Amino acid sequence: MTKSLLQGNQAIALAAVKAGLNFYAGYPITPASEILHELVNKKTVKVLQMEDEIASINAIIGSSLAGAKSMTATSGPGFSLMQESIGLAHMMEIPLVIVNVQRVGPSTGMPTFPAQGDMLQCKYGSHGDYFPIVFYPNSVAELYEFTFNAFNAAEESLSPVILLSDSYVGHLYETIEESDYPISNRTLAPLGTSNRHFTGLTHEDSKPVTSDPEVHKKLIKRLETKQKKVSRKYNDYEYIENKNSKILLIAYGALSRAAYDLKDDYAIYRPVRIFPIVEKLIEIAKDYEEIVVIEMNTGQYVNEVERLLHRQINFIPILGGKIDLNEIWTKLRKIKKKR
Amino acid sequence: MTKELTYLNYLKQDRLPTQWCPGCGNGIILKLACQAMEKLKIVKKGTVMVSGIGCSGRSAGFFDLDSVHTAHGRALPVAEGIKLAKEELNVMVISGDGDLFGIGGNHLLHASRRDTDITVICISNAIYGMTGGQCSPTTEVTSKTLTTPRGNVDSPINVQALVTAHNCFYARSTTFHYNHAMKCIFEALQHKGFSFVEIKSQCITNDGRRRGFKNSYEMLMSYKETYRINNSTNKLEHNEIGIIR
Repeated sequence: MTKSLLQGNQAIALAAVKAGLNFYAGYPITPASEILHELVNKKTVKVLQMEDEIASINAIIGSSLAGAKSMTATSGPGFSLMQESIGLAHMMEIPLVIVNVQRVGPSTGMPTFPAQGDMLQCKYGSHGDYFPIVFYPNSVAELYEFTFNAFNAAEESLSPVILLSDSYVGHLYETIEESDYPISNRTLAPLGTSNRHFTGLTHEDSKPVTSDPEVHKKLIKRLETKQKKVSRKYNDYEYIENKNSKILLIAYGALSRAAYDLKDDYAIYRPVRIFPIVEKLIEIAKDYEEIVVIEMNTGQYVNEVERLLHRQINFIPILGGKIDLNEIWTKLRKIKKKR
Repeated sequence: MTKELTYLNYLKQDRLPTQWCPGCGNGIILKLACQAMEKLKIVKKGTVMVSGIGCSGRSAGFFDLDSVHTAHGRALPVAEGIKLAKEELNVMVISGDGDLFGIGGNHLLHASRRDTDITVICISNAIYGMTGGQCSPTTEVTSKTLTTPRGNVDSPINVQALVTAHNCFYARSTTFHYNHAMKCIFEALQHKGFSFVEIKSQCITNDGRRRGFKNSYEMLMSYKETYRINNSTNKLEHNEIGIIR
């Protein structure tokens, strides 16, 4: 087992190669470019620098259909451009891995500062109903491990899997062990072997059906069931119990690393599989009177938590890319006083 | 008789007839593509058809090949991804002018720059037919459409200049000049590198009738009158059809 000092973005690239990545298409963007830089030197990966993120995701849709394990990486602005084709990949059932190293938005925002503003974009960014599997690790070692999981989940579900990161974790250097993890192989036969038709239209047995609501209902139901079934294999979360606390903090990604400092006073729950939301939280939340979600946006994941738990949830927004423990501390005290 | 129709083997015959309007040029181009493939004895396994969105986007689904119906404007990057991931495949794209030059114009610029070995057949009917007949990037100046009721003021896109700027194969033909169009596709399929065939095609339903044509026959005849074949030039005039290698 080799130990190495790696940056978060590098770890994703190295793990992707080990997980069988054959094809990468991307467009330079801060803070995700290092993944592209790392991969151009790998002999086993065909790397394309495309004209934009729309071309990048469509190129990997093509390469994945042709049988190559494919990935792209970007940040918020590029991720927004990719949305339409993410929906297409869900409809055509194509395994892909999309890395989104988040930065402060909207628009160009603060390109080098971390944020968590793309949480809902992952799930609702494309039009129509689809059921993405999304992971959000919070350390270099976890990024490495979950890159494997992302590739495996993509192959098992035949869908684009999103690996979230942020400019903090993506640019963090940590020493990790470069372990090997089991790899799921491709089950979809590559193009050029049959007469299948892959389409974004509502379809049945590779034939477009655009005027039968029953076919559409059946298709969406099947996609939902499939995604839920595969996601059950990856029920990843971290729970730090605290019997002395009546308050449960929920944080993920870069911010959860700051939250660890509060573990003496509060219980902490950190989802790693962001979507579909891990249902274990229902059971954990029962033991706490107050739940506080802390995230680097004006309230995104908190809505999903509220929807799952059907109760009032407190919320602390951390904006502007700066994680200040004092700010969190003060706001938590206010919530405590109110009780 | 059956011997003459062997090109039909390239189509999913259970999906015929197509859903296109009577008089549409798409069917002619479907047949052209099949016959050119047959002439070259292209094996179905190992060939992939990609299309974008629009009336022309439905083409890919009729071929008895593995086919991909992509998002609007994205046929080219998908085709490039397929070709570069599995180079032994023949990759063909059939799509419309709005798809390839409008929403997907940037991809055309870069696919030709990269000279990826794919063959693109553009059904260029100078209109957005599926959405009801709006002005497209190839609509002629003064032409009346839904969105240019007083006549189009913008000049049509110069595809020849775009594609030949990167020294790629470019051919222009029309649905009237059947044998010439066939020759264009036949040669494009043999070309190593990016090859682009623009076939002027008629849309009577949403374009021709607004411009005073009574039927698609009249539109075809207008191609006969407008275009002359010039196969020995490196720059086609606007009223010429031909091949530039």
